Amino acid sequence: MRFLKLYLQPLWNARLLLIYSFLSGFAILILAPFLMISLRSVGKGWFGKLWFPPELTLQWFQTAIDIGNIPEVLKNTAIIAAIAVAISTTIGILSGWAFGRRHLPGKEVLMSLILLPRMIPPITYALGVAKIFYGLDLVNTYLGVGLAHVSLCAPYAILVLSSTFESLDERVLEASSVCGANALKSFFYVILPMILPGILASMIFTFTTSYNEFTLTLMTYGPDTVTMALRTYLAIGDGYVEITSAMSVILVVPSLVILAMIQSGIQPEKLIGGFKGV
Amino acid sequence: MSDTMIEFRNVTKRYGALLANDHLNLQVRRGELMTLLGPSGCGKTTALRCLTGYVHPDEGQIIIDEKDVTNTPTHQRQLGMVFQNFALFPHMTILENVRFPLMIRSKPKAESVPQAREALQLVRLEGYSDHYPRQLSGGQQQRVGLARALVYRPNVLLLDEPLSNLDAKLREEMRFEIRDLQKRLGITAIYVTHDQEEALVLSDRVAIMNKGRLEQLGAPDEIYEHPRSKFVADFIGLSDFIPARVASIEDNTAHITVGDVTMTAPAVEGLSRDQSVLLFVRPNDIEMASTKPQNILEGVIRQATYLGDRMDYRVRISDAIEARVQTPGIQRHAQGERVRLHLPMERCRLIREGGSSERGDTNSTMHV
Repeated sequence: MRFLKLYLQPLWNARLLLIYSFLSGFAILILAPFLMISLRSVGKGWFGKLWFPPELTLQWFQTAIDIGNIPEVLKNTAIIAAIAVAISTTIGILSGWAFGRRHLPGKEVLMSLILLPRMIPPITYALGVAKIFYGLDLVNTYLGVGLAHVSLCAPYAILVLSSTFESLDERVLEASSVCGANALKSFFYVILPMILPGILASMIFTFTTSYNEFTLTLMTYGPDTVTMALRTYLAIGDGYVEITSAMSVILVVPSLVILAMIQSGIQPEKLIGGFKGV
Repeated sequence: MSDTMIEFRNVTKRYGALLANDHLNLQVRRGELMTLLGPSGCGKTTALRCLTGYVHPDEGQIIIDEKDVTNTPTHQRQLGMVFQNFALFPHMTILENVRFPLMIRSKPKAESVPQAREALQLVRLEGYSDHYPRQLSGGQQQRVGLARALVYRPNVLLLDEPLSNLDAKLREEMRFEIRDLQKRLGITAIYVTHDQEEALVLSDRVAIMNKGRLEQLGAPDEIYEHPRSKFVADFIGLSDFIPARVASIEDNTAHITVGDVTMTAPAVEGLSRDQSVLLFVRPNDIEMASTKPQNILEGVIRQATYLGDRMDYRVRISDAIEARVQTPGIQRHAQGERVRLHLPMERCRLIREGGSSERGDTNSTMHV
């Protein structure tokens, strides 16, 4: 034991260094593909085994926007995401209230049923959705693609909002009415400010889910409902690696914006009435 | 103006088969602090919630300030309430929290802000206006709760175990603070607690509840010294209950037998010869190693425990009877020592067995 300690002591002394080198190694590993694609999107004449592109340019972005019809695609993406967010937040608020505030028999079974679309392989689920949506003429409509996304977004919304409502302290509501607030005033002055962060968090989650969703979009899209993720995939087939890279960098931008927003202002874990267990 | 501020008239509340309040009748006088005291599940919280209107009684009426408020919604009852878990609004600053009752009543800001500041001053938190509740300690949060309850000078202040989430030292300090504020403002208060010490220190009168019923109502000293049932005696303070049998009654004195020893105690109402009773005495009223000739029980010390300011003994009197005795710490006896216990007659009380409700669990301080 003592022997072991003798040898481990230097390691222990250098533990901070070890931890940081491990973490930075990890970060590089995670970020390497992203770095590669970013470099590729601004590199010119980057072939062979060169470590760095010989020339930098922004022309691929211009080309991507021109031939990729990016403004139209972004508009589609935004509309579909808005539909998905609106519907799943509504579902989330209603069922979250039932899950979080009411005594619901069979709560666990219901919850796992709701989470089921997230558990089965996306392609299996998407094939089923496509079959149904073709029958209902929902394919290649905003509503159709949006609804397909809801099946993945709603579970998130329900999960986040049910714990938001669960953490709403009954006693605080009682305090509000003892203080003289009727139901309406209690809602606007007490309940709403307390659940707003949870609703916001749920909207952010559902937006990113819809924005990033690929499989379900692939099975339900049409020429009028191409989304950003899908457009990037389709660009691969066109064969211009640089343009595809530029597109995938554009694809990442909104996610980065949201991440920055969360980091700076609205830190979900610090918000009252936030969510636990997610 | 009637002397009664709050009245429970025959209030009954059932939860399924459980009777939370069983025809509760209680009157709280103007300006007094009454404690509702009892073990959990005795109905004290239900009674309080009937008063706030959060629970609607199945039967009976709630009267506040001569008005029947049984069907008045909570927000119109003009109450102030302090909660066990503070129940402050987490998204509001301390000042906004305290100002809330005034804001809801549409008071202009020019009036409500100074009034809220004044209330904060009352609880010595004037420097914390712009803090948020989570930045304050438990004791400070509860004082904010108090300020919020008092800010618009309600007629009635309700306190639902306000100190049970605080540590022991703070709890003791806050007792006096609450008592002082309540007296200074002359506000009628109902204080719910399961802490008997708190009840004795704070109250003008204590209402002891058990199984949804009022078990005994009286001033703290009356409750402590003249408990009317075993439940009350057992719940408040330490108690010895020694089974005995009534031998004879003359005037105000009853002669009873404990085993083969005859003792005397003040007679109580409804006592008859040959009845089995419980002889109730407080462990610190028993004198140890006494030379007095009367009211003596002999026993052997089975266990002696040092408690700092006092000694705690378990004295075995017979196979079936054990008494707990507490003496000042300087008076020491060893385990195994044979002692004479003197139970001063004026300190003894007879409780008729079965004549009153008993607590379900018989472990705590009962030594029979």
